[in-house]
Amino acid sequence: MAAAGPAKTEVLSLFRAFLRTARQFSDYNIREYTRRRAADAFRENRALADAPAAAAAFADGKQQLEVAKRQVLVYSLYAPKAKSVVEMKIQ
Amino acid sequence: MAAAALRPAILRHIRLSPAMAAPLVGATAAGQPLALARWLARPMSSHDAHLTRDEVVDRVLDVIKCHPKVDPSKVTPEAHFEKDLGLDSLDTVEVVMAIEEEFKLEIPDLEADKINSLPLAIEYVANHPMAG
Repeated sequence: MAAAGPAKTEVLSLFRAFLRTARQFSDYNIREYTRRRAADAFRENRALADAPAAAAAFADGKQQLEVAKRQVLVYSLYAPKAKSVVEMKIQ
Repeated sequence: MAAAALRPAILRHIRLSPAMAAPLVGATAAGQPLALARWLARPMSSHDAHLTRDEVVDRVLDVIKCHPKVDPSKVTPEAHFEKDLGLDSLDTVEVVMAIEEEFKLEIPDLEADKINSLPLAIEYVANHPMAG
């Protein structure tokens, strides 16, 4: 029973945490990349049938979330002074 | 003089027309109902920039239509994310996050898990005091 797969709500809440963290990046490119990368990874692993593999992917995801959170902090220290051209168009 | 010529013109603008003044007089004379109605219609808090329901519906629909996986022609205020729009649970999380961003909200996980259709999303935003 040690390697029971994560519940659906746990996975969705990890995904939500990723999106929330991604949105804090001040740099447009990093922000969009993190969001895209998280969405792609969750889609890639959604079909994981056996519980141990799902649990491993879930644990990996949690670790990556911690990395992303640290990077938000690091990138905030070196925030770009000007906005990306892409963002200016959106406004 | 120029000032003398200007004076009647300014006064004409400032003065209340009889048509505007009449209901005010009528209200005090006729008693409470009208005055009470007007008092109730006025926002009672300083937070009077609250969103109307129509505005919420419009903006929620716009957000959903902008999502890359959604067919804009299928978006209606009654649509269900998974049944009508063909989104999966991961898309739903993304869509709800987009709504959060649009209205500058933070929806707690427990609440966000329950939002699986447009009526629920609209209701949540419309009832949220901080939605902006």
